[in-house]
Amino acid sequence: MKSKGLYLGVLISLMLLVLFSLGGGIWGAKSTIGHWTGDLFRGICHQNPLRSFHLDGVQMAVNSRCFGVFIGLLCGWLAIPAFIRMGIKKNPFLWYLLFAVVAQIIDFSGNLIQLWENSNESRVLLGWFLGFTATASVFDLFTNNN
Amino acid sequence: MNEEIKDEEQKLSFGDYLPSAAIVGAIFGLVSFIVGLFFGYQQINAEPTGSFFSPSMLSGFVICLFTAFAGLVAVWHFTKEVTPFMKLGQGAVLGFLTGAIITILSSVLSELWIMLIDPEYMDKILESTIANMEMMEMPESQKDAMIEGVADSMGDGQSFLRQLYIGIPISGLLNLVTALIGVKIFAKKAEESF
Repeated sequence: MKSKGLYLGVLISLMLLVLFSLGGGIWGAKSTIGHWTGDLFRGICHQNPLRSFHLDGVQMAVNSRCFGVFIGLLCGWLAIPAFIRMGIKKNPFLWYLLFAVVAQIIDFSGNLIQLWENSNESRVLLGWFLGFTATASVFDLFTNNN
Repeated sequence: MNEEIKDEEQKLSFGDYLPSAAIVGAIFGLVSFIVGLFFGYQQINAEPTGSFFSPSMLSGFVICLFTAFAGLVAVWHFTKEVTPFMKLGQGAVLGFLTGAIITILSSVLSELWIMLIDPEYMDKILESTIANMEMMEMPESQKDAMIEGVADSMGDGQSFLRQLYIGIPISGLLNLVTALIGVKIFAKKAEESF
């Protein structure tokens, strides 16, 4: 595996991203909104409590979809060494990523025009798929023969 | 010839990345500022409905999705204008830099807008956001905590440095990831030229 320094740096950053996205609950705060974890993600997430998971009764710093994306990014990144060891020749994840982006837009639009109502569980799953395919799509760039 | 390419890669300095990061960062920063402003005034002028899909919440989704692609676009620009050969680490630097420029530019423009054009903008946004939240159907305790938190975090007006401090790492990291995807799609490997 090459670019190990970059791999480790991004791995630590993604771990921190997931940790901070858990919100103020794990830091002993009574509310995430107004806490530094909430401020950290305010620019990229609407942080609606009805569309977020809660830890110890305190909402997370991001909504369920964003949390799914972050977990997916981390899982995909963690899977890169495994994909390299498996010796996968052709990387299919770029196509899956395209599919995941389209699925997000369809899910968001369908909910917006009230064709269906998505749930925290469906949003976290779709978000995970998007995040996982995003980081998994670059796994072959870390192989030594690249 | 292979060595020439390696030499070429090693010669790249911060100044080589800057034009791509600055151009793409400026475009994405400007567009995200304008979109944010547009939805912001939509929110100010709209009647509070209590709907989750308020203009400011929509703008968050649109801006987040849009700006995350800046890293990928910056790599595309770099491979067109500087060199088609790019390493992963170079893509990562370019992506992070682009995300940082987006945050800096949009924060500067927001500050300028509030200072020079509409000093009451933040107060009006805060007022309309709280009015909308009050109409939301959720437990009162949850609603009160949310309103209190929003009032605390928006009411004081975050300092410019704090906006950068909390904005750059997240925007930088997300654009770093999309820049790596950009390296995969747009950058050529040295072996491919032979």
